[in-house]
Amino acid sequence: MAARVSTSGAALLGSLAALSLLTLTYGQIALPLTDTVGALTGTQSTDLARQIVLEIRLPRVAAAIIAGAALGMAGVLMQALFRNPVADAWSLGLLAGGQLGVALTVTAAAFAGPAAVSFLTFFEGPSITLAAAAGVAVAAFAMLALGRRVGAITLLVIGLMLGFTSQGLTSVLLHFAARAGGRVYGGWRDASFAGVAPSALAWLSLPILIGACVAIATAKPLSSLLLGETYARSLGVKVTSLRHAVLAATVLLVAPVVAFCGPVSFVGLIAPHFARALAGTARILPLLPLAALDGALLALAGDAIVHAPWEQHFLHLNAILAIVGAPVVILILIFSAAVRQWR
Amino acid sequence: MLDLQSLAVGYRNTRGVVLSGIDLAAAPGDFVCILGRNGSGKSTLMRTIAALQTSLDGAVLLDGEDVASMRPATRARRIAVVLTERQFNPGLRVEDVIALARQPFTGWQGELADKDRAAIADAVAVAGVGPFLRRYFSDISDGERQRVMIARALAQTPRLMVLDEITAFLDLPSRVEIMALLRSQAKQKGQVVLLSSHDLDLSLQLADSVWLLDGGGGFSVGTPEELSQSGHVGQAFDNEAIRFSPSQGRFEISSSASANT
Repeated sequence: MAARVSTSGAALLGSLAALSLLTLTYGQIALPLTDTVGALTGTQSTDLARQIVLEIRLPRVAAAIIAGAALGMAGVLMQALFRNPVADAWSLGLLAGGQLGVALTVTAAAFAGPAAVSFLTFFEGPSITLAAAAGVAVAAFAMLALGRRVGAITLLVIGLMLGFTSQGLTSVLLHFAARAGGRVYGGWRDASFAGVAPSALAWLSLPILIGACVAIATAKPLSSLLLGETYARSLGVKVTSLRHAVLAATVLLVAPVVAFCGPVSFVGLIAPHFARALAGTARILPLLPLAALDGALLALAGDAIVHAPWEQHFLHLNAILAIVGAPVVILILIFSAAVRQWR
Repeated sequence: MLDLQSLAVGYRNTRGVVLSGIDLAAAPGDFVCILGRNGSGKSTLMRTIAALQTSLDGAVLLDGEDVASMRPATRARRIAVVLTERQFNPGLRVEDVIALARQPFTGWQGELADKDRAAIADAVAVAGVGPFLRRYFSDISDGERQRVMIARALAQTPRLMVLDEITAFLDLPSRVEIMALLRSQAKQKGQVVLLSSHDLDLSLQLADSVWLLDGGGGFSVGTPEELSQSGHVGQAFDNEAIRFSPSQGRFEISSSASANT
């Protein structure tokens, strides 16, 4: 099993590196591969190539990889915590909750006056992340409370519905906020990795890094929880504090993604299934790196398709992810032996 | 050595005290069956012994230590449970389920050492679950699942095994096989095995001692022979339809019931 994990990890890492290089090289302007590598390594390259690669494409590629990895890991945590094969930050409405948190904050600032708006703009990174974290946390707690009362599929439907509600409210709020002078950068209501400024990458990655550490630390007791709460307790797990730790990790992983990239759908839902298939186990620890890698790969692949040199820019990230992701979810629900008992 | 000292079990709500004043002991190697009808408090007693719920009064001592005040990790090395409840995650394979039993013994990564693998291999062989190790846990039959859960408990190499109603969904040959297996494990490994059941016939034949709950908060303890001869089994289980016959050592349909059919 360990061999399977490291082999698939290496293969995923290789594909991710290749795809990154491809995404950095091709686009509206195709660069020679040597220029891309040169710009990355700081050796020979043209100024134009350096500007395109380092200032435009690299932040986008980095954001896609970081966000995809975070969503993949969060998906592993949530599917274990909720005992639900279709749980993830998007499907259970955590991303929409985070957006609503941001929208409420921006609207409140807009109505509080220009000082509040400029404060929010100046501290955009931390304040938007915090607002998103609050929204994600509220949504996560609500879903966890509900999850103990309803079945897996009911929870999924409720999560999607609450997601739609939050998105509707977000849209209404942002309309009023815009009229009162508040603003969230464009492209945020749909998911996109293109809006992440190089300076924002630190705010994107720092909470995710901490979240990943918490996730790794909780991996062992969370594996016990796969047997259900009572068995986990009989194996020495303090279930309540474990739940809180896993929720904290989820919020840390997901909130920055909402804040900077918007509601990236499907990645967190299907990445854990690929990871399980590759690892041949449901134990959490080996799943985390694999889900991070294939989440990153999925997100970057979606982004690469969006930013391929089309005649005009017409594709949205979530459109691509839905075209690929939704059939995968349907296939999982219909055919996977692992989820047979959950239909 | 398991010691129950003036133990009272139950709930701090309207259900209140279920059983109280329990003073019982079981020695290493004892295969103890806890018998009683539905609702007589078997599960409550067993959950309290395994410290899955708190006692209302008194103490449960395992090898002289109070199980309620043990560190959870220490307790997990000494007590293994098998319960009827099933709330499993999807994607769990049989080998994962059994390997999770070793978590109390492993480091923070949960990485298995040689002695963990040996304990797992032993448990797999004893419980005979080798053929379906790679199958999904949700995909195997009820009987296979019970075997897997027993293998998991064995792999935990506990001092005390607490098994609640585990034979309920099995056919007779499987029930006999599993109870005999548990009995021989108790003898071989010097474990205390507590098994609750309403399977009277088998329990009376295989148990070293029987804790009999009468359903009204009372209980009696003894060897199977003592309890059936003294009429306690009858008191706990008889109703209009069936009657325990001490001389036969089994139940008989009472004449009034058979006349109606």
